[in-house]
Amino acid sequence: MLVSIDWIKDFTDLGELPAVEVGNKFTLSTAEVEGVQSIGEHFKKIKVAVVESINKHPNADKLSLVTFRVSQNETGEVVCGASNVKVGMKTPYAPLGTVLAGGFKLEPKKIRGVLSEGMLCSKEELGYEQNSKGIMELPEDAPVGMTLLEYLNESVDTLLDIDNKSLTHRPDLWGHYGMAREFATIFEKTLKNPFSDEWSTQLEKLYTLQSSPITLQVDPDCSCLAYFGLSINGVKVEDSPIWMQKRLKAVGLRPINNIVDISNYVMLELGIPLHIFDQDKIKGGKLIIQRMKKEDSFKTLDEIERKLLPSDTVICDNSGPLVLAGIMGGQSSEIDDQTQNVFIEVANWKAHEVRRTSTRLGLRTDSSSRYEKTLDSKMCKRTMLRTLELIIELCPNASVVGKLEYDGHDLSSIATRAITTSISKINSVLGHRIEKGKIISIFKSLDFIVEEDIDGDLLQLLVPSFRANKDIEYEADLIEEVGRIIGYDNITPKSPLSQVSPVRLTLADKLHRKIRNFMVYHAKSYEIMTYPMVGKKLYKKAAWSIEQGVKIINPISEDQDVMRPSLIPSLLEAASKNQKNFSDFCFFEIGRTYTKDQVEFSKEQSMLGVVFSSKDSSCFMELLNVVERLFTELNVAVKFNKRHANFANAHIPADWDGRHPFEHLDVNIMGKIHGAVITPHPIILKSFKIKGNLSMAIIDLTSFQDRPLKSKTKYTTLLKFPTSTFDCTVVADKGTPVQTVLECMKKSKVKKVIDQKVVDVFQFNETQNTVTLRTTFGDHEGTLSGQFLDSAKESIVESLKKGGFNLKM
Amino acid sequence: MIEKLDELFKKFKKELDTVASNADALNLKAQYLGKKGPISNILRSLKDATASERKVVGASANELKVSIQDLINDKINSIEMDLMNKKLESQRIDISDRQSIRANSMLYSGGFHPINLVQNEIEDIFLSMGFEVLDGPHIEDEYHNFEALNIPADHPARDMQDTFWFEPPDPEASNRHLLRCHTSTIQVRGMKDRKPPFRFIAPGKVFRCERTDASHESAFHQLEGMLVGENISVANLIYFMKTLLSEIFKKEVQVRLRPGFFPFVEPGFELDIQCLICKGKGCSVCKKVGWVELLPCGMVHPNVLKAGGIDTSKYNGFAFGLGLDRLVMMRYGIDDIRLIHSGDLRFISQFKSY
Repeated sequence: MLVSIDWIKDFTDLGELPAVEVGNKFTLSTAEVEGVQSIGEHFKKIKVAVVESINKHPNADKLSLVTFRVSQNETGEVVCGASNVKVGMKTPYAPLGTVLAGGFKLEPKKIRGVLSEGMLCSKEELGYEQNSKGIMELPEDAPVGMTLLEYLNESVDTLLDIDNKSLTHRPDLWGHYGMAREFATIFEKTLKNPFSDEWSTQLEKLYTLQSSPITLQVDPDCSCLAYFGLSINGVKVEDSPIWMQKRLKAVGLRPINNIVDISNYVMLELGIPLHIFDQDKIKGGKLIIQRMKKEDSFKTLDEIERKLLPSDTVICDNSGPLVLAGIMGGQSSEIDDQTQNVFIEVANWKAHEVRRTSTRLGLRTDSSSRYEKTLDSKMCKRTMLRTLELIIELCPNASVVGKLEYDGHDLSSIATRAITTSISKINSVLGHRIEKGKIISIFKSLDFIVEEDIDGDLLQLLVPSFRANKDIEYEADLIEEVGRIIGYDNITPKSPLSQVSPVRLTLADKLHRKIRNFMVYHAKSYEIMTYPMVGKKLYKKAAWSIEQGVKIINPISEDQDVMRPSLIPSLLEAASKNQKNFSDFCFFEIGRTYTKDQVEFSKEQSMLGVVFSSKDSSCFMELLNVVERLFTELNVAVKFNKRHANFANAHIPADWDGRHPFEHLDVNIMGKIHGAVITPHPIILKSFKIKGNLSMAIIDLTSFQDRPLKSKTKYTTLLKFPTSTFDCTVVADKGTPVQTVLECMKKSKVKKVIDQKVVDVFQFNETQNTVTLRTTFGDHEGTLSGQFLDSAKESIVESLKKGGFNLKM
Repeated sequence: MIEKLDELFKKFKKELDTVASNADALNLKAQYLGKKGPISNILRSLKDATASERKVVGASANELKVSIQDLINDKINSIEMDLMNKKLESQRIDISDRQSIRANSMLYSGGFHPINLVQNEIEDIFLSMGFEVLDGPHIEDEYHNFEALNIPADHPARDMQDTFWFEPPDPEASNRHLLRCHTSTIQVRGMKDRKPPFRFIAPGKVFRCERTDASHESAFHQLEGMLVGENISVANLIYFMKTLLSEIFKKEVQVRLRPGFFPFVEPGFELDIQCLICKGKGCSVCKKVGWVELLPCGMVHPNVLKAGGIDTSKYNGFAFGLGLDRLVMMRYGIDDIRLIHSGDLRFISQFKSY
């Protein structure tokens, strides 16, 4: 919203405060000023000049050298390209250094080799027109040397661009008079009150005893809170005066005609929207304010047919709806050049109803955006009288017919809100000592009525009606008024006095940190984040069902309309993107998945997803080893099992096309499947355009993150006697997992075994491998005898033989 | 005799020079120091000499023996040294060929996401000031996201345009589900589980239904904070916020506190910091105003305290929210917020730990 300081000065004398300071202080006390802009400065520099001679430019056919005079003994020469320049013509001259309306600053510059001392201006360069040809021709009697500021009665103004969002709770600031009250309080000035009771009485004398040509009826069931109507006859529709046009233009409104301009002017001044009808276009002499009878279309002033619902409130005559309440008028009762008699509506509507309708229709107007904030019905009458005052001023022949009509809630029944607070409470909450006198003067300046208590500490405050709607409701709201006017920057920071108690991270947070550290420092991986919202396209690519995900009603796009049920498709997509830039990489994400839940609506799980990718070599074993070591680091017992038909893995769908025939292990934590280490099938990698090798792990952290995980590490005494090792090499079929061979050896159940491990695996022939196994023997009691060792070795070999693994000969 | 010894030594040195192998050196040693060698011969011939001559020549001959022994040892050592050096030469590696200069150097590094780098750092700052760290669901209900935070049913914040909504399982459901649009949802959850005085923070993802561009995202990160106790004041709030910021930025940061409107605090503030990228001159990150909104904060609204079951006649408190993405962007000079969730390793690898 743009605020004109010139307009503010109608109501309070701010003196000559620098514009930037005004903006800064307003930001710190009330609402954010996003920009400060000076307008009209160029009119101070631009003068009336008279053209004395015109010569051809030596180097350009279309340019001429124009000599002009701006005073008795001051002449200059400019390069000019305008075709309408002629000797004796009066035209505006802008000297070097002038910043023109478009923000262009005139610098000394040679044009085709000739120095131009400024510029003769067109209407466009002065900001009068969007596009113009030739330089501006001034009347013959324009006094040479006079500034345009003086000659054209231009004005200089400062505009503050205030962030609308920061005014959401302050409907009283949506007009210049309300703003002026704020400025007066901040800068400790006096607010003038041109709208006194006496002023009202004077204007009310214009009512007549005739019956009003338009009467009103408000249906109590509609969104109307208050409706005032006044008929005025004998207006003349013409351009509004320059001063009014200038103010409207300055704050960004296009002048239309005097009647429409008055309605906009009053809204911008007092913050209450109003609507002016052509009285003669109202059929039947009566307006009914009610909800739509049925769904129907309605053509608003912007010439668009809009569909209205039975819940929308409209203002109707006997032919149907004329105005969409609080939002926009219709074409049928619009003011036009022939309008002579008008009917003025000043009303108040229920905020949420206006917002609901305007949001549904996508139609936000200056009017609806004010009503949405909840306006004060008590301010309607003042708005009506100010409108009347301006119509009489601009159309002296106009006259009121009848009296001010009203229907709606009983306004006198709206009680004044009183809130009690105390000087000590205000000081305690702000943590800053403020004198009682200062506090009282702030409230008085903001138009609160202050009732002091006898003991001097308690304050009873009557809230002005224009602040009583969803703004000032509690004691805390009063404390804010004092705090912001004092300036929060003036409060000295202080530490609170409070008990000290030990705090620590939650188990889940500790676990997540531990995993991140492990993945970064040990697994040499990068942590990434992918979007929690996913779409059909991605899931189709991954051959993954999106059905379990939770669907968003109002997504930004189809590609982000479901909360992801798995990390896998997102991680595959990230891998695909990164393959364009890197041949080998490892990354992980700790992120949530979201699935539908019958009881809780949705279930969120913290998942760890890891991707290892390499152009040339398989990553599966490397990843599996990393995951195994991660669980050791986390003190979580884990088992890696081949997929079992009877135990479904909730994290990998049983019928997934991406299932690899061999590289797939379920991660079993505390007896349940809570993840998997997999290589996706090449068919899936292909659909993601991933070349080379890629393996991934997925682990449900929610399944164990809230349990205390203690290290079970125990020290065992070192052996005092030498150990003895026995290596043997057996032959096994290629398809036999080496673990099976090891398990087979362990079945021998020989005693005094410290360790049994695989030493090596070699290809023996086309179909067989050799596996070398090592057993380490040792005893705390003494050196093992040769006899014991021989029999132990024998039973190991025997056991292997039983399992079908013969010694390599 | 002495002359003979001198001559012998000269001859030995000459021959030693031609020795090239360990074996030759040992041969030479045997040749001179052996029992039938020239020195032994000389010593043997001394039995006919005078006592004084024997003493002088004997001492010289023994000296010569020691010198020869030493020179031979030196020779052997130097031959071994040459051999080792030759071996080292043959084993020479290019010590400039570090992993970090190789094309696949990425494989030898790892790193944390910048959001978590900064989030962990802030968590630690708050832990050190006695704040717990809480977490909450992303899919919330209207009650926790709005109602409990004093945002009534007809408030504009509840409109479709700002919040992502879910289809209610039952069309008549009064408490619909949504994606939390701020971490403030944790306020009521946190209060209900605790007795004052308490203080906690809650970092996490939040969601807004907005078109994305370089400075807007539909999923981003906030950190909520809340402190409840007796006689808590605005001055206390400012104290914590300033301490926090000087800890985060490791220096005094220019701040300004201006009124801000949030239904769940009263009084409410916007705490702005001077833009660190342009130092207040105005740039694209601060939208040309020189200040960046960083910390909306305020004294907790009495209605919110009541929703959390707090006795408002005895306790009050403050709350604040910190935009983590904006902070991370300021810290590292990141110009596009969409990189945060991009999963792009060209971006992430810039934050490598080693």
